[in-house]
Amino acid sequence: MTTTVTPSPGRTRANAAGPAEQRGGRTRGSKPIGNHVIPTFVRVMLWLWVAFNLFMAIWVGISSLKTGREIFNSPFGLPSTPVWENFVSAWSVSGFGGAAVNSFTIVAVSGVATVALAAPAAYVISRSSRRLARGLNTYVALCLALPVQAILVPLFVARTEVHRFAVEFLFGWWDDRLTLVFVYIAVSLPFSVFLLTAAFASLPVSLTEAAELDGASPARAFWSVVVPVAWPGIKSALVLNLLNMWSETLLVLVLLDDPALQTLPAALLRLYGTMQYNANWGGLFAGIVILVYPMIVLYLWAGSRIMEGMTAGAVK
Amino acid sequence: MTETLTPRPASVSSRRAIRRRRRGVDRILVVFAAPAIVLMTVVLLVPSVFTVIISLTKWRGFGTDVAWVGLRNYVSLWQSEIFRTAMLNTLILVFVGGAMIFAVVFFMLIGLRHMRGAGFARSVVFVPMIISPIAIGAALGFLLNPNGGVNAILAAINLEGLRQAWLAPDFVFRMIVLGLVWSVSGYYLAIVATGADQIPIDLYEEADLAGASKWQQFWLVTLPLSWESTSVAVVLWLISGMKTFEIVIAFIGTQGTPPVQARTAAVQQFLATTGGPDGTPQLGQASAIGIAIFALTSVFVILARRILSRDRVELS
Repeated sequence: MTTTVTPSPGRTRANAAGPAEQRGGRTRGSKPIGNHVIPTFVRVMLWLWVAFNLFMAIWVGISSLKTGREIFNSPFGLPSTPVWENFVSAWSVSGFGGAAVNSFTIVAVSGVATVALAAPAAYVISRSSRRLARGLNTYVALCLALPVQAILVPLFVARTEVHRFAVEFLFGWWDDRLTLVFVYIAVSLPFSVFLLTAAFASLPVSLTEAAELDGASPARAFWSVVVPVAWPGIKSALVLNLLNMWSETLLVLVLLDDPALQTLPAALLRLYGTMQYNANWGGLFAGIVILVYPMIVLYLWAGSRIMEGMTAGAVK
Repeated sequence: MTETLTPRPASVSSRRAIRRRRRGVDRILVVFAAPAIVLMTVVLLVPSVFTVIISLTKWRGFGTDVAWVGLRNYVSLWQSEIFRTAMLNTLILVFVGGAMIFAVVFFMLIGLRHMRGAGFARSVVFVPMIISPIAIGAALGFLLNPNGGVNAILAAINLEGLRQAWLAPDFVFRMIVLGLVWSVSGYYLAIVATGADQIPIDLYEEADLAGASKWQQFWLVTLPLSWESTSVAVVLWLISGMKTFEIVIAFIGTQGTPPVQARTAAVQQFLATTGGPDGTPQLGQASAIGIAIFALTSVFVILARRILSRDRVELS
């Protein structure tokens, strides 16, 4: 009985104290207004922001189906008939087809390779008791702090050298896209190792102990026990890498001159640069759709994991 | 005797077993970590050392002479009107843009509490972060085009007077900052909100009982208790803001070189690396810019950590 009764006197006391305090001027008498108006106003703004984002995503899609004239005359109207030719022209004339293939291959290969190299490294760093492991952890953190600007010039210089060296001494052949793949992997490694070290460290040690008691080698225990259990974490590291690499532009521009080798962001940039001459705005919006919609689909599929990986991973 | 002896062999053998198991992971430490560590060293660490060396030379690329100039590149950067503008722009973007971002974040945080659909709103405002800045720049660039959407709306609602040449050299940088604030605020909101989520609800109930207004609750409960995730968000913003590149060239397109008034330090470095307007790379200067960006970022991050970690609230 007493337990249910005691809160109510407390509350009444608080209520009684509230107005008294207000009269004291601490809340400037605006408490009831502040309590409802401010959050409501903020919520309206927040939903406007949400609406603007949704509008932009849909507007880009609709614009990609309009003629150049429609885009300018009624920027926010609907197309009279969908102009699918915009996609045809973006795909074949403006080189988005080749760029899409480049993007897809480069990003898929680099993303998978990054995680494949980062996971074993992160595992041993998180589990080994050797002093070297702690040193490696510090080393990874150090590399994480390096911005791409601190290595841009040597990479730009090394590009031609790597190409020449591979052609003359190694294989008699080289593709600069491979250089980009190696750079993407290396640049993404510190973050991936960092993220996965945290993921592996949170797994119970008893897992691998059990496997090794059953006679599995440490490598085998990693592959058959740790990887399956830590799979969600590995997958979110992969998805984050794919997102970053898909949008990456600076390294593409610095490491690849040939438009035929470049990826989608560079293709969009090139097309956008020609707008003042050929004003193929329909094609431009089709290009934006080709670049952006795959990421939105990926987000719809793995949105909560992406947000978690990018925020929780940062806060840890 | 037996009682003191028997535990001993057991503990020794179990310790030995642990060591053997540990030795399992320790044994594969080098093999598992080597590929990632080697790649990071070759592509990140070694080039960063080269950047420092190249920054002390005057060099136009392979096949040309390398002249040792000491710190002259840094001095001439400091004296260069163009670089100073670019650096100042970067600082404006990081601090003014950053202030806007965190104003938006905290403002929206008030509305997110107990809001229906908060998760949905959070995930929608997050989306621009994962979209290529090139696409964002191209879409906003169209809206702000002299004949584009924004001016059309202003004309339609009889506010002809507010029409602007939004993309004119003197004006475009403000638009870039606004575009960036729009596209990344959702990310930092997600980070700070993750911290705010962990605040126990009874604290707010107690604050309610004590008669605190929503506004006071925000200042006295939400802000101090999400301080840690806020400081992480600030550090992340400093790191990424200092290397802002893509959205600037996206607003302009590669064909036209960004006007000096709109360049950031990273854009200036890109132009100096690839040759930019006058066609001859200035690798020494470009390296010096890279080092300057890295050094300034490090200083800001260290300062931010110092300042922000001071009044951390421990929840007992």
